[in-house]
Amino acid sequence: MTAVALLLADARLPVAGHTQSGGLEPALAAGLDDVPAYLALRLATVTRTESATAVVTLAHLRRGEGLDAVYDAWAARTVSAAMRDTSRELGRGLLRLATTLWDLPPLLTGLPRPMVLGAVAHATGVPSADLAEVIGYDDLQTVASAALKLRPLDPAVATSWVVAALPQLATLVAEVAHLDAPTDIPATSSPWIEQLAEDHAVTTRRLFRA
Amino acid sequence: MPETTRELRLGICGPVGTGKSSLIMLLCARLGDELEIGVVTNDIYTDEDARMIRAAGVLDPSRIVAVETGACPHTAIRDDITANLLAVEDLVAARGPLDVVLVESGGDNLTATFSPALVDAQIFVIDVAGGGDVARKGGPGIERADLLVVNKTDLAPYVGVDVDEMRADAVAARDGRPVVALSRHDPHSVAVLLEWVRSQVARHRSGRLVPVDPGPMAPHFHAVENGHFHAGENGHFHAGENGHSHDDHAHAH
Ligand SMILES: Nc1nc2c(ncn2[C@@H]2O[C@H](COP(=O)(O)OP(=O)(O)O)[C@@H](O)[C@H]2O)c(=O)[nH]1
Ligand SMILES: [Mg+2]
Repeated sequence: MTAVALLLADARLPVAGHTQSGGLEPALAAGLDDVPAYLALRLATVTRTESATAVVTLAHLRRGEGLDAVYDAWAARTVSAAMRDTSRELGRGLLRLATTLWDLPPLLTGLPRPMVLGAVAHATGVPSADLAEVIGYDDLQTVASAALKLRPLDPAVATSWVVAALPQLATLVAEVAHLDAPTDIPATSSPWIEQLAEDHAVTTRRLFRA
Repeated sequence: MPETTRELRLGICGPVGTGKSSLIMLLCARLGDELEIGVVTNDIYTDEDARMIRAAGVLDPSRIVAVETGACPHTAIRDDITANLLAVEDLVAARGPLDVVLVESGGDNLTATFSPALVDAQIFVIDVAGGGDVARKGGPGIERADLLVVNKTDLAPYVGVDVDEMRADAVAARDGRPVVALSRHDPHSVAVLLEWVRSQVARHRSGRLVPVDPGPMAPHFHAVENGHFHAGENGHFHAGENGHSHDDHAHAH
């Protein structure tokens, strides 16, 4: 893995990652008990779409192609408006930092996080597989560390969930790393996660933004 | 430094319950006619503080926004200020131009201070109910915030605290940086606070306000090493209140 990829996957990167629970907060509120199963569900659905979006963004930039079609494909596959808002908000925070660090191609404003990450990967030479892995890994850690804030839990247990999910992450990476067209992005949405994201966006008590 | 038209970003931090939101409401109520004000709150749970300030009716509710900190209130004002910066920028884009944006921390202890990349100046708030020795114990905010407010002096008789002593401790801990012993029931102390805020706005506009970092919870460090804590940067507020002219300390380092 490239060092820049490690940097992007590091929770200490100042891009507001601490405001996120990866949808875990509303899921727990709705009665979720099995967090490892939740991690697996995300990798199979929404995170898969995000990883693929990043990889296809990178492929487009490498070929010098525009990003409108990638954006449309991502938006069409991210059914929940609340989740699109969250991803754009995170993309904005990341872009804000990244433009101070690297020469990025001129980007449309309002891009979701995976597309901004794709652009950062393009500017820094991060390979597709690393990019896909960063997104999946970050999602696992986001959920696991939020669990520590939301439930009484031994931190070692939360980390063991992440470790247990790594084989599934490897499979995801193998499946999306070679994608290069917007139509390749899997439409693996999760209506349950999306509904919870919508509910969470309008709740009046929450610890995490999303 | 050049003159600036960007709003002054003023942080308000300090332990829970010391009166940060109240101070913001006071500033809105008393300065709202002369300054265009916006407010960003950092809440532990959703937008509790923002709603309280909106409910006070002292400011157009759309000028008050909340940042969720994911139970990391310290991080959000210091190590990773992304969410707050975006909130300030959005607020100014939607409701600006503004003269001042007040950013309330959601901190829960004495060590949290704002990054100088987020705010231009910061007020640290403690109160007499926290005990008379809080000021003496020190910490980055108490020692080096641009202004220390010792709040709720009206409660001092009920909690067995000698305000003069507490203020003297604070002044001693701060090498002459300003201290206001405040009670919203004491008009004179409120006037001193308002005057300090006005002076910061004026300094900011003229480009003379250089953000000074109170620093992390670390051994006391000295002005000369860090280059900011000399009289010119800190000495513009001559607090009749604390009885200490800054010049007493101008060359203390
Ligand atoms: N007696 C007295 N109470 C005050 C004063 N300022 C604030 N309070 C009260 O202190 C409590 C906590 O205030 P708040 O502003 O919510 O504190 P925060 O948690 O720091 O934002 C509230 O009940 C306020 O009404 C004051 O000057 N005198
Ligand atoms: Mg408050």
